[in-house]
Amino acid sequence: MNVFLQSVISGILVGGVYALIGIGLTIIFGVMRVINFAHGDLLMLGMYATWLVFSRLGIDPFVSVAITGPLLFLWGAFLQKTLINRVLNALPQNQILLTIGLGLIMSNSIMLMFTSDYRILTTTYSSSSFSLGGISISEPLLVAFLITAVITAALYWFLLRTDTGQAIRATAQDRDAAQLMGINVQAMSVLAFGIGSALAGVAGALISPTYYIFPQVGSTFTLKAFVIVVLGGMGSVIGATLGGLIIGVTESLSAVYIASGLKELVVFVLFLGLLLFKPSGLLGKTRA
Amino acid sequence: MDRRPLLSRAPRGFSVLGLVLFVAAIAALAAFPSFVKKPYVLHMGVVLFLAIIQGQAWNVIGGYAGQYSVGHAAFFGIGAYVTMMLLELNKTAPWVGIWAAIAAAVLLSLVIGSITFRLRGPYFVLASISVTEIIRLAALHFKDFTRGAEGFLVTEIPTLKIGATEIEFFTKRPFYFAALGLAVVTIIANWAVQHSKLGYYFQAIREDQDAAHSLGINPAFYKNVALAISAAFTAAAGGFYAMFVKFIDPNTVFGLDVSVQFVLICIIGGIGTILGPVIGAMVLVPLSEILRNPKGLVQLGIVSSDSGFVRFIEANLSNAHMLVYGILVVVVILFAPEGVLGVIRRLATRLRRRTPSRGRTEPAATA
Repeated sequence: MNVFLQSVISGILVGGVYALIGIGLTIIFGVMRVINFAHGDLLMLGMYATWLVFSRLGIDPFVSVAITGPLLFLWGAFLQKTLINRVLNALPQNQILLTIGLGLIMSNSIMLMFTSDYRILTTTYSSSSFSLGGISISEPLLVAFLITAVITAALYWFLLRTDTGQAIRATAQDRDAAQLMGINVQAMSVLAFGIGSALAGVAGALISPTYYIFPQVGSTFTLKAFVIVVLGGMGSVIGATLGGLIIGVTESLSAVYIASGLKELVVFVLFLGLLLFKPSGLLGKTRA
Repeated sequence: MDRRPLLSRAPRGFSVLGLVLFVAAIAALAAFPSFVKKPYVLHMGVVLFLAIIQGQAWNVIGGYAGQYSVGHAAFFGIGAYVTMMLLELNKTAPWVGIWAAIAAAVLLSLVIGSITFRLRGPYFVLASISVTEIIRLAALHFKDFTRGAEGFLVTEIPTLKIGATEIEFFTKRPFYFAALGLAVVTIIANWAVQHSKLGYYFQAIREDQDAAHSLGINPAFYKNVALAISAAFTAAAGGFYAMFVKFIDPNTVFGLDVSVQFVLICIIGGIGTILGPVIGAMVLVPLSEILRNPKGLVQLGIVSSDSGFVRFIEANLSNAHMLVYGILVVVVILFAPEGVLGVIRRLATRLRRRTPSRGRTEPAATA
C-alpha cells in the first residue's frame, strides 16, 4: 500500500509539470489548429537556458523561471510571426512538417553549440527528499509542482477573467466569428504561441534539476505532450491539466509495477487505445 | 480553401521517351563503377539508391494514398532487425533473410494499418508515430531478444554464388549493384502501382475518402494494401541498410529521425510522383554525406586535404546533417510546398506559355 501511495504521489508531482507542457500545446492547438511538433524542443531550449544561467551565473533553476519564461515567450512569438503564421491555411501535414523541421533546427543547433553530451544540473537539493507519514517526497519535484500549480492558477485566471484571455478563448472557439467581433486574431495567435512556448520553457526549467539535459531530450516530451493533450481533449486546458496528472501517475505506477524501461511504452499503448476508442479525449467535444 | 496537394494530377500514360531515358540512366549507372572506382563515390551511390527506395516506398502510402505516415521507421527497423538477426543468430544469408524481413513487415503493416487507419489527418500521424515508438521502446527493453541498445554487428556476410561466379561482399562494389537493382525494381513497381486500378483507387481515397467510399472503394482495405506494398519495399531497404552499414541498434533504425527522413525525401522532391523521390534523394544525400564525411571530397580531389572548408565542416558541422534536413524542410514547406519537381514544372509551364506567344501580335488567349 505504501509503495502504491508513494508512486501515486511522485506521479502527481511529475504530472504537474507534464500538465504545464500539455497546457502549452493545447493552447497553441486551440487557437491555431496547428499541432506543434517542436513543443518538446522548446522545452529543451528552456532546459539549456536554465543550465546556462545556472552554470555561468549561478542562478537557481527555480528562480530562473522568471528569465526562461519571458525568453521563450519572445522566441515563440517570433516563430509564430515569421514562420508558423504562413502555414495557418496550409495542409495539416505541411504544418506538422514545418514544426518538425523547426524542432530539428533547434535541437541540432543546440547540439552544434553545446555538443550532445549529457548535462546534469546539480543543485544542493537535487536529490534531497523528506518523509511524510512514511512516504518520501522529492524536494525539487515538490517545489516544481508548487510553482506549476501557481502558474496554472494564474493562467486560468488570465484566460477566464481578463479581456485578452477571453479574446484568446474566443479565437479558439471560432476564429472567423472572433475576427468579426473585432478581435485581432493575428495578435492572439502570436500571443498563444508565445504563451505555449513560455509554458514549455518553464516546464523545462522546472525539471532541469531532476532530468538529464541533452539536445535530443525534446522528442520524448513532444510525444508525451500529445498524449496528454489528446487524452484531455485537444484544445481543452482543463483536459490538459487532468491529462498531465493522469500520465504522470500512469508512468509512475507502470515503472513500479511493470518495469521502469516500459513506462513510456505503457503510455503509448494507452494513447493508441484512447485514439481508437475516444479520439475526442476525456473532456473534448466531438470533432467538427 | 483548397486543401488538396498541389501536384494532384492524374498520372500520364506510357511514354517512349520516358522509357528510353530510364533505360539509359540505368545503363549509365550500371557502367559507372567500371570508370569510377573511388569507394567514396560508390558509397554515395549506395546511399543515394537506398534513399530513392525509401522515398518510393513511402510514396505509395503517403503520396498516392495520401496517408502521411511518420512511422515508417517501424518497417525499416523490422526489415533491418529480421535480416540482421537471421544472419547473426541463424547464419541465414541476407538475400534469403530479406524475404522473411519483407514478410514480417507486411504482417506488421496489416496490424498497424488495422489500428491506425481508423483515424484521419493529424490523429493518424500521431498514431503512426506512437506505434513506432512502442516498437522502439520494446526493442530497447527486451534485451534478451534484441540485445537492446547494444545492437547487432555484422560479423561476416557469406559469399554469394550465382552459377560459377562468386560475389564477395568486402568492397562497396557489390553493394552498389545490389542497391541499383533494388532501386530499379522499386521504381518499376511504383510505376506499375500508379498506373494500375489499384493506383487509381489510392488516389481516389487521397482526393476524397468519403466520395471514394460512396463509389464502392473500401478505404480501410485499400489503405491497408497501400501500406503493405510500402512496408514491403521499406523492409527491403532496411535489410539492405543493415548489411551495408553493418551495425544497427533500436535508435538508429526505429528512431523518429528515420521516419522523418522518409517523408523528407518525398516532400523535397515532390509528393505523389515517380521522379519526386529521385530528385529528393539527389538533393538530400550529397548534402548530408558531405557534412557527415567531408574527407570524401579530399579523396575525390575536389578540395585539398588541408583546405579550410573541410576543416571547418569537420570542426563545426560534422553532426549537422539533421540541421540541414530541418532547414531544408522549413524552406521547402514555406516556399515550395510542391517540392523541387513542382518548382521545375511551374517554371516549365511559364516558359511554354511564353514561347508560342513570341512573334505573334495577338496573345494566345483564344486557345
